[in-house]
Amino acid sequence: MNKLRLKFSKNGPIKFIGHLDLMRYFQKAIRRADIDIKYSEGFSPHQVLSFAQPLSVGATSDGEYLDMTVNSMTSTQDIMDRLNSVMNEGVEIRAIKELSEGEDKAMTLSVAARYSLRLRDSADFDDWTYKLEKYLANDKLPAMKKTKSGEKEIDMKQMIFNYSFDHENRKVEMLLSMSSKETLKPALIFEYFYKSVDREFDTKFLDIHRIDIYRSGSDSSGNYIEPFITSDTNERIYING
Amino acid sequence: MNLNLALSDETLLSIEKPERYIGGEVNCVMKDKEKVDIRFAFCFPDVYEIGMSHLGIQILYGMFNSYEDVWCERVYSPWMDMDAVMRSQDIPLFALESQDKVKDFDFLGFTLQYEMCYTNILQILDLSKIPFKTKDRTWDDPIVIGGGPCTYNPEPIADFFDIFYIGEGETRYRELFDLYKKLKDSGISRSEFLHQVAKIPGMYVPSLYDVKYKEDGTILSMEPIFDDLPKTIYKEMCLDLSKEFYPTKPVVPYIKVTQDRVVLEIMRGCIRGCRFCQAGQLYKPLREKDIEYLKKIAIESLKNTGYEEISLSSLSSSDYSKLPELLDFLIDKCNEKKINISLPSLRIDAFSLDVMSKVQDVKKSSLTFAPEAGTQRMRDVINKGLTEEDILRGSEQAFLGGWNKVKLYFMLGLPGETDEDILGIGDIANKIAALYFETVPKEKRNGRTIDIVASTSFFVPKPFTPFQWARMNTKEEFLDKANKTRKGIMAQLNQKHIKYNWHEADASMMEGIFARGDRKLCDVILKAYEKGCIFDAWSEFFEFGKWMETFEECGIDPFFYTTRERKDDEIFPWDILNCGVTKEFLLREWHTAQKGLPSTNCRKGCLGCGAASYGVGVCKEEKIVE
Repeated sequence: MNKLRLKFSKNGPIKFIGHLDLMRYFQKAIRRADIDIKYSEGFSPHQVLSFAQPLSVGATSDGEYLDMTVNSMTSTQDIMDRLNSVMNEGVEIRAIKELSEGEDKAMTLSVAARYSLRLRDSADFDDWTYKLEKYLANDKLPAMKKTKSGEKEIDMKQMIFNYSFDHENRKVEMLLSMSSKETLKPALIFEYFYKSVDREFDTKFLDIHRIDIYRSGSDSSGNYIEPFITSDTNERIYING
Repeated sequence: MNLNLALSDETLLSIEKPERYIGGEVNCVMKDKEKVDIRFAFCFPDVYEIGMSHLGIQILYGMFNSYEDVWCERVYSPWMDMDAVMRSQDIPLFALESQDKVKDFDFLGFTLQYEMCYTNILQILDLSKIPFKTKDRTWDDPIVIGGGPCTYNPEPIADFFDIFYIGEGETRYRELFDLYKKLKDSGISRSEFLHQVAKIPGMYVPSLYDVKYKEDGTILSMEPIFDDLPKTIYKEMCLDLSKEFYPTKPVVPYIKVTQDRVVLEIMRGCIRGCRFCQAGQLYKPLREKDIEYLKKIAIESLKNTGYEEISLSSLSSSDYSKLPELLDFLIDKCNEKKINISLPSLRIDAFSLDVMSKVQDVKKSSLTFAPEAGTQRMRDVINKGLTEEDILRGSEQAFLGGWNKVKLYFMLGLPGETDEDILGIGDIANKIAALYFETVPKEKRNGRTIDIVASTSFFVPKPFTPFQWARMNTKEEFLDKANKTRKGIMAQLNQKHIKYNWHEADASMMEGIFARGDRKLCDVILKAYEKGCIFDAWSEFFEFGKWMETFEECGIDPFFYTTRERKDDEIFPWDILNCGVTKEFLLREWHTAQKGLPSTNCRKGCLGCGAASYGVGVCKEEKIVE
């Protein structure tokens, strides 16, 4: 038996497929590719697939993760080739990593996500990058976040690892907290940013692209976070504490 | 997948289920539009999840796209939220694959599966900016063609269609496409083209037939307006289904749809001859598909789709002669791949219970019986060959096998129905419950008990059935009968184990009007649509009051079509069509029904319905002598 972590992209019109439908899409693709996947026990066995974090409808991504277990395989490359030969345009398996036996699920391990964000033309807001940059420079970015039991006040500033603006192309890249404990959604930042400039935000304005999902780790230089599957240690971001 | 969608991101994010409008599903067919001669937009006039569940479109979609010169795409009714956006932003209706305007296609085909979709046809034409009526269209508009069961009485929608294709779609489309390619740019008029089309077998061009009425509103005559056109249009039918195209790469939707599995059609037609059933007559004679062909199709389809379930499809699967062998094969293959098998329309007996126990969770699944009527007398009238003994024997075996849920289906308003027949529904449900307590001793029930759901629908007489002459009940009669049924059940000893559901009477009445309607209804339907009637098959949108108001404004009495019992010699609007069975046969069956007598089934004896003239299927089998 092998535990595998797949990295895949979701681009183009397929971004309108919701999370549960994407799961069903993968289950069918795995059958078409004739992967010897492990099924659950019981009267109606099903494939056990575990996604790192759901992506909201309308968002694209180059770094989604999915864990699964196979009973047998020839190589991770073979699984990747077979899956890619049955994929629809827009979804592509980019990498597969074999996991050690006791490794936690991607869902449990994820700590952050990097996004590239822009406002659609319908937002009609030309100089937003300059204004957002100014807003993010505040010491604190208080916001009310909806939780299961109601609302709680958070400081968004604590949940933003870093950001960089491309004013010319009107884009911003942000690395935001995304874990089972705390998750900051890009839309919440924009909602409060809009309030700060006296404008009304509509989630349809925001064009979200997820670049990658990060996990934490540590080495001699300290604690760091890095993309789930990477061979480039330059992608490591060292964090305090 | 088409990367340029017809709708903006903002629009798609502001409506329910954007997946309905983006196309690009697994196995959807993309072609280079510059390299095809014919672009065909195939529409199921209801919401995506319903339309995508339909086997007929998948068959013809696959077949058309197997032609190099044709690109067939899909169109469904935009849901109410999308409809509103398209109207307010003036977005023309588009096909899913290319996302191109429907108006620019060569053909717009509709499959007409139920009468309550008629206003949705007008919605599609409207949003596509195609004139509603055939007489107002030009070569700038697609050729509008309809097929499916409702085309066996297409008169209520005759004005909206250029062509109706009568019968099974596999046989004549190639001929139609070739004629179109030859004539489209030859300089002839659109109506001259339709004249040529009307000479192809199975093609009914309603504008070329003139209807004359008698003073009482019934039909005097229906005649072609040209001498070279047929006086009767005969249905098209596949003689050997194992040689026909069948899609092994059906389009697999992203979202959950009603029929979300591989559908394996094992045969067409039915031997049973239930007198209320239209499908039973339309698809005669019963033609089975070769078992080796079916095995191959099943395996290929599962491989190409990745579906986790396969379902057999036919009008009465138990009548497939090699069913045990087919099911053994499927159970074997599917267990290996963890695929579920769903088995609709099986007669409950030792064999089917054994199979069901292998493929279903007995504790969760239920037994389904469709006695259709509450007494043996009434079941003889409708020729439903299911006896109370069959039901009780099947139930007993099932209870011993661990089942405890039973679903029962009945109809109310059948011809000659009495109170006794209505009260019989409660009786039979009670007998099943009592049998459970008798069969399964308390210590073996494990805390479970018998659970019966009895449902009634209201009988709607349909064209090409022995009951096409019958009077349909009024709404008041229907509701009174539903009430009697409910009281009858309440009076039973085991009533607390029996749940009762009944259909809405308003919708049944509308269905009854359209089912046996004539051309005079075209204006009513158009007017009702203009007043806002749409998605009539959906109870949340169906506005009965608006329809009745429209009938009054048009000066048309809706009861003319429903509650009037027809005389034996009345000319029906659909008499211009021939579905393979003769009117003499149907009339004979109507008279036999009135005498309360059943008729034999096609495997035991031939009733001389007319379908033997095709010389195929069950008509060629030797009869079983009992």
